[in-house]
Amino acid sequence: MNKNPSEEAKLGIWAHRGLLEEFWHNFKKNKLSLVGGIIVLLYLIIAIFAPLLAPYNPVEQFNAPRGEHNPLPPLSRSAEGYLFLLGSDKFGRDILSRAIYGTRTLLQVAVGSIAVALVLGVWMGAVAGYKKGTWVDELIMRAVDVMLSFPTLVLAIALLGAFGIGKTRIGPFVLSNMVKIMVVIAITYSPRFARVMRGVVLQEMTEDYVDAAKVAGASGGRILTKEVLINTIPPIIVQASLMMATTVLTSSSLSFLGMGLQPPRPSLGLMLNEARDFLFLRAWWYAIVPGVSISLVILGFNLLGDGLRDSLDPRQARRVQQ
Amino acid sequence: MGVYILKRLFLAVPTLFVASIVIFMLIHLAPGGPVRVMLGPMQDPVLVKKLRHQLGLDLPVYQQYLRWASKALHGDFGISVTIQRGSSVMDLIAQRLSVTLEVAFLAMVVALLIAIPTGILSALRQNKITDHIARIIALLGVSIPNFFLGIVLILIFGVYLLQPWGAGGFVPLSKSIGGNLIRMLLPAITLGTAYSAIVMRMMRSAMLDVMGQDYVRTARAMGIGQQSIVRKDVVKNALIPVVTVMGNSIGYLLGGSIVTETVFRLPGVGNLIITGVFRRDYPVIQGIVLTIVVVRILTNLIVDLLYSYLDPRIRYGGAE
Repeated sequence: MNKNPSEEAKLGIWAHRGLLEEFWHNFKKNKLSLVGGIIVLLYLIIAIFAPLLAPYNPVEQFNAPRGEHNPLPPLSRSAEGYLFLLGSDKFGRDILSRAIYGTRTLLQVAVGSIAVALVLGVWMGAVAGYKKGTWVDELIMRAVDVMLSFPTLVLAIALLGAFGIGKTRIGPFVLSNMVKIMVVIAITYSPRFARVMRGVVLQEMTEDYVDAAKVAGASGGRILTKEVLINTIPPIIVQASLMMATTVLTSSSLSFLGMGLQPPRPSLGLMLNEARDFLFLRAWWYAIVPGVSISLVILGFNLLGDGLRDSLDPRQARRVQQ
Repeated sequence: MGVYILKRLFLAVPTLFVASIVIFMLIHLAPGGPVRVMLGPMQDPVLVKKLRHQLGLDLPVYQQYLRWASKALHGDFGISVTIQRGSSVMDLIAQRLSVTLEVAFLAMVVALLIAIPTGILSALRQNKITDHIARIIALLGVSIPNFFLGIVLILIFGVYLLQPWGAGGFVPLSKSIGGNLIRMLLPAITLGTAYSAIVMRMMRSAMLDVMGQDYVRTARAMGIGQQSIVRKDVVKNALIPVVTVMGNSIGYLLGGSIVTETVFRLPGVGNLIITGVFRRDYPVIQGIVLTIVVVRILTNLIVDLLYSYLDPRIRYGGAE
C-alpha cells in the first residue's frame, strides 16, 4: 500500500491545525456561506456605526420644495437644499438615515432576544437531557410541547396584547418597550433551543468521555457543566444563527403590525407599514428600501447558518442534506 | 391502531389543557388589572365593579378558570368588551374565520403547485445547475418577509399595471366567486411563497432519501426504467413525510395569515386579533388564540394518525 504523498502531507497539516483553522477551512469551501458571512458582517458594521454612517438625524423633518410634497423620490433635495439619497418619508425624514437606524434597532432586538432565549432554553434542555426519563425531563418537555402548540407570531402577539403596547410596569420594574419585545420573542423561541439542547445532551451522554468522568468520580453537575456543555456549543451556535433569521422576521413582522417599536423611533417594519398609504402615489422607495434591507439581513443569516451547520455540525448537516 | 390513537389523545389532551390555562392567564398579565386597562379613561367605580363581575374577576382564580373553560368547551368565548361591545366573541370569530381559512387553504394550494414539481426536479438533478437554481430561489423565498412580498405584489399589479384586483380589499364569496378568487390571488401567493420554499426543500430531501433506499436500487437493477420508478414509487413514498410536515405547519399558515390580512386589508381573524390587541379587548384575544391552538393541535393529531395509518412502522416501535 503506497500512500499518496500529497494525502500524507494533508494529514500532517490537519494534525497541526487548530480547531478554528479546521472550521475556517471547512467554512470557506462553501461560497454561499461566505457571502452570508459578509452580508452579516456588513450589517453589524452598519448597526454599530449607525451614527457615523447616517447622513441626517433619523427623526429630523425637512420641508419639501415649493410645489412638491413629501415623500420625495431618491436623489431629490429638500427646500433647505439637503439631499435625500434614497428619498424622504411622509414627514420629510431621510429614508436612508431611518433605514440605517432601523437596521440598528432591528439587530439590537434580534440579538437581545436570541441571547435571552439561549439563557432560558439552554438550561431547560440541558437539565431535561441530563435527567432523561425522570419527572424533571417529563415536566420540562411537556412545558416545551405546550409552548410549541402556539404558532410563534400568535404567541408573541398574544403576550404583547396582554402586556399592552409601549412601556410596561410589572411590579417594581419598568420595562422599556424594546426590552419587552425582546423578552416576548425570547419566550416564544426558548422552547426550540430547549429541544435542540436536550437532543444534543442526550447524544453527548452516550460518549465514552462521560463514562470516563463518571468512573473518575465526577459529580453529575460537574460532568454537565465542565464536560458536556463545551461539546454542545457548536450545534447551539448553528441553531442560534439559523434562529437569528427567524427572529429578525418575527420582530420586523411585529413592527409591521404596529406592535413593535413605536414612532417616531426608526423601525424597518414600521416604515413598510407607513409606506402602504403611499403606494398609490408611486412612492416605491418608501417600501423598497426597508423591505430590501430586512430581506437581505434574513438572507445573510440563513446563508451563514447553513454554512455554519455544514462546517460545525456535520452530523446534522448530513441529516438535512439527505 | 386503537392503542396508538388512545396514546396520542392521551398526549394531546393535557397539552390543550395547559395551553388553555396559559391563554386564560393572559388576561391577568395586564398591568394594573384588565378592567382598568379595558375601561381606559372612564374609571367609574360602578362600571368597574359591573365589568369585574361580568368577567367573573371577583371569584377565586381557579373558579374563574373553570367557569371560563367550561363555557369555552361549549363554544362560548365570552363577550367583546371594546370592539363591538356586547357581541359574542364566538360570532365575531365565526364571521371572519372563513376569510382566514380561505387564504390559508389557497396559500397551501399555491405552495403545493410550486413546491412539489420543483422539489422532484431538484432531487432528480441533484447538484446540477437546475438543482442549484431551485435551491437559491427557495432560499430567497424564505428570506423575503411575506409583508414585503405582499407590498411588492401590490406595487407591481395594483399600482404599475393598474389591475383593480391588485390593490387589496375583499369581495365576499357569496357576492361573486370570480371576484373573490381573483382578489385572493395575491394574498395566496404572498403567504404561499415562503411556505412553498420550505415544502420544496422537504420534498427534495425526502426524494433523495427514498431514492437511496434498497428497493429503488432493486427496481433499477431489475431493469425498470428511471421514469417509471420515479413516478410509481419514489414520489409516492416521498410524499408521505412531506404531507405530514405540511399538516403540522398549519400553525405557520395561520400565523402568517395575520400579516397577510393586514397587508391586503382582508377582514379575517388576523385582522380581528390585531384590533383586539390595540383596543385591549381581552376576551377577543383569548378566543382567537384558543381557536388557533385548538385548530393546530387537532390538525397535528389527525395528521399523525393518518401518517401512522400510512406507515405502520410508526405505530410499532418507532413511536415514542
